[in-house]
Order: sequence, then C-alpha cells, then structure tokens
Amino acid sequence: MFTAHVTRKFSAFLHQELSPEENRRIAEHLIGCSRCRVEFEEVKFGMRLAEQVPITSAPQSLWSEIDAALSKQSTTYVVAHPRWRPQTAFAIAASIIVLGLAGALLIRSISNTQTSWAVARLQGTPRIGSIAIGEAGKLRVGQWLETDAGSRAQINVGTIGQVEVDPNTRVRLLETKPTEHRLELARGRMSARVWAPPKLFFVNTPSGIAEDLGCAYTLEVDDDGNSILHVTSGWVSLQLTNRESAVPAGAACATRRGIGPGTPYFEDASEAFRSALANVDFSGDGPARISALKVIISEARSRDAMTLWYLLSRVSEPERVRVYDRLAELVPPPEAVTREGVLSLNEQMLGLWKEQLAFAPGTNSQKLKLGKKF
Amino acid sequence: MAATREQPEVKSAIDERVIVACQHGDRDALRVLFEEYKDRVYSIALYSLSGNEAAAADVTQQVFLKLISRISQFRGDAEFATWLYRLVVNTCWDERRKEKRLVPFEEFGSMRNSRREASQATQYAQQELSEHVQAAIAELSPKLRLPILLKYIEGFSYEEIAAVLGCSKGTVASRLNRGHKSLARRLEWLRGQAVIEE
Repeated sequence: MFTAHVTRKFSAFLHQELSPEENRRIAEHLIGCSRCRVEFEEVKFGMRLAEQVPITSAPQSLWSEIDAALSKQSTTYVVAHPRWRPQTAFAIAASIIVLGLAGALLIRSISNTQTSWAVARLQGTPRIGSIAIGEAGKLRVGQWLETDAGSRAQINVGTIGQVEVDPNTRVRLLETKPTEHRLELARGRMSARVWAPPKLFFVNTPSGIAEDLGCAYTLEVDDDGNSILHVTSGWVSLQLTNRESAVPAGAACATRRGIGPGTPYFEDASEAFRSALANVDFSGDGPARISALKVIISEARSRDAMTLWYLLSRVSEPERVRVYDRLAELVPPPEAVTREGVLSLNEQMLGLWKEQLAFAPGTNSQKLKLGKKF
Repeated sequence: MAATREQPEVKSAIDERVIVACQHGDRDALRVLFEEYKDRVYSIALYSLSGNEAAAADVTQQVFLKLISRISQFRGDAEFATWLYRLVVNTCWDERRKEKRLVPFEEFGSMRNSRREASQATQYAQQELSEHVQAAIAELSPKLRLPILLKYIEGFSYEEIAAVLGCSKGTVASRLNRGHKSLARRLEWLRGQAVIEE
C-alpha cells in the first residue's frame, strides 16, 4: 500500500476520469499515506485555481473583419451554390432554433447528472422540496430532502460515497463539484460512508462543519442546532471559525450553537468522564467547571490521552498545569517536549506530543493500531 | 473587452445542418459557428499567446477563415468541436513559431492593471484572482497550458483533449496533473483566500 504512490492520477481522480476500482484504490491509499495527501491537496488547490480562468470576450469587430476577408477571397461562397440558397436560409433559421433547444436540453441533462445526486427511497415517503420522490429521485443543488417520522432515504454522493438519511431529517445539497461536495444538515440524523480522499465531502450544521477525512460516521442535529458526531471508521474533522476537533474512529464529539465543536472523546470513556467533559466544554466558568475538570483528570485512562491533549489548549493556565501533569503521567512526552513549552502552548511541542499519542489524522495504520492500546 | 466569469458547463451543441451549410460555403452558417465558439477560441488563443490581444484576435480570425476553407474535409467521424480545436491549437502553434509575438509577462501584467481600474468594487477580489490565474497559466509551458485551457475553457473530457492534442489519455492526465501542481506552486500565496475556498 505504501510502495505504490498514486500522485500522478490525482487530477484524473478528481475529474472522475478513472474506473471505480482505481478511485477506491486511490482513496484508500490516501487515507494511509501522508506524503500523497500533501500532493493531493496541492493538485486540488491547483484545480480550484484553474476553475477561475475566465472566458474573455472576442473583439466585437472580429466578425466584420472575417466577413471582409471572405469577401476578398471570393465574391461570395453562396453564389457558387445558387440552387442551395433557399434551403440554406431555412436550414440556418431552423439550426439556430435547434441549436438553442439542444443547448438548453444539454445544459438540463448535464445539470441532472452533474449538479444533482441520486436519491433512493428506503422507507416511507421522503420528499424533495414538496414532492414525494417515489422509489427514486434527484436532489439538485439548493434543494432540500426531507423525511418524516416514517421515512428514510439514501443519497449517492456523486461517485464518492453514500448518505443514509434517517426519519425526521432535513438535508440540503449545497455544492457538488470535483473539488467539493457539500450538504447542509439542518436537523435530524444522517450516516455517511465516504470512499473519497480526505477533504472532499463536507456537511454544514448550525454549530459546525463536518469535514470528511476518509471515513464513516453518523451526525445528528437537534432542534436547537446542536449536534453530536459518532465516527465509526477513519477520521472526521469538526470545525467552526478557529475551533477544530479531529475525531477518530470509536470517538465522538458534540457541538453547540454559537460555540462550535467540543473536545473529542472515545465513546468507551466512563459516563462520569463524558458528562464532566460536556460541562467543561459548554457550561462556562464557575465551581461546576472546576469540579468537572477534577473528574476528567481522575477518570482519564491512557486511551483518553487524546481528550487531555485537546484540553491543554482549551483550558485556563492554572487548569492547564493539572491537565499536563495527568497527560504526562499517562503518556510521557517525547524528549524534545518540555513542560514549560507545553504550558506556553508551543505549537511545535504540542504537535510532537500529539504524534507520540498517535491520534493525529493521517497517522499511518501502524500508529493507529498503537492508538487502540489507549 | 470584458472578461466574463461564467465557465462553460457544456460543449457546444451545433446542429449538423449548420456544418453541412458551412461545407457548402454558406456565410450565415459560418456566422452561427463563429458566434458559438468565438469567445472560447479567442480565450484559448489569448492565453496561448501570453495575453497578446492583437495576436489572439488574428489567430481567431485565421481559425474561422481556415474553418470555411477546410470544413469540406470534416467527415463527421470526429466531434466537430474536437476537429475545430485541433485547428485552434495548430494555428496557435503556427503563430508562435512564425511571428514570435510573445508579449513579455510584465506586459500581460500591465494590461491586467488597466482592466483592474475599471472593475466593480464588489467583483474586485474575484477579478484579481482571475487575473493572477491568467498570468500563471500564461507562464506554463504550452504542453501543460493547452490541456488546462481545453479542460477549463471548453469543458472537454480527457479523451477529447487527447484527440485534439494527438496524444494518449494517460499523457493528458499526467500533463493536467503537472499543470495543476505548477499553478498551485506559483500561486501558493493565494492559499486560504476566501474567494478560492468558497
């Protein structure tokens, strides 16, 4: 897997010019190969730039110059075919109309295939806009797909994945293009399985954006716009403004409207740990927060080192000392990482320690396996 | 000469009768083809000739004059657009070889500045980005530039680009990949700008 790099095929992959097998091979390789991921991001950025190339209008005078040149070359081409002339006038007039119609039909057909996703009914009567979809339908950019209490649907995310939409859910297709596929989940629950490389599939929610890093996950949004993410394989990044949490398989992360993503945690952490974490993440300052942090520190296992690492940069300075001590006890920092450096949030040292903890996205499969020891 | 933002989503749908009319020398039919393709042909010529507007206009004119004289050779066994863009690419190559009318990059830049003054404030960021991209594309080698132009201006598939350039699909994939990377490296400093990330 790590010997056959796939960098030369990234453009073809993003333009959907490869076979499904090749697509899958590249996507799988990317999940495990950080070197290829760097190049993939570069190619994707290059594509985004190339998409900006404008079409420039030709000078208005050009036709008259061509017309004059043609007149010089020959009195008129039509004179050479006088019998054909009446037919031509009709043919050209018809052609202009047909051309317009064909163009419109072609644009419509392209918009059906390239700016829409196929939707299949799984149960009940899912609706696109106000129309029940029957067995299958097309979700176009800007359209909402809605399920009631008795209905479910499945969406094909272009050629890169599938989303199952649970009952009482409202999702909208925001964008679909080679470098970005984006849904909005306004409320309800969806499960996504994506076999594309990282950072192609996004889900906007009222309290954060879920960015696929090569994964399968469930995302649920409540009526207040808060959400909870459960990752079943790979990685998902949750973001809102400057706050970001990368969530690995087996972990979950909550978000709150107006705050953004909380701290990721493994789902097998104790109930006390998870409840205290929610308190620290979203309940503001006060005595409750202080006692919640105590619970987190006392309940933390080696596997919860990920959560403690995130907390280092999300707690106050006095709190950080206590988090540092517990984290160092569970997973001693590498030699180049000092206590002072971490307490002053030195980015390089935090990064080195994160690598030691083996939960950074893009960590190769060997390290991910180590991560499971936590 | 306004630069438009709209990208082509589809290839042209030219009716066969227009082509047949052109093959019979009908100037009105040529006008139909001209109106359909002129902006994209001109754009490809413009970027292929380092932003030299006069040379691009000359090439566009030559392309349509050649079209009317050679269209009898078009047998319909290839897509008309593929056939046309072979003519465009060859004419651009001839122009570069014959006239050596390459405008220095700085001159392309000065043209950009004169347009910038006229741009709307609201479109400024997008316009500026397009200009940087145009300049970066103009700096690419022709081998990397032409696949990019055919992909993003005409919306061709890899197979169609290969047919225009007379190479394999694999070569097209490789050149596009190198072209994308080259653009990314030249314009690395634009990374993170909202107008690209949107």
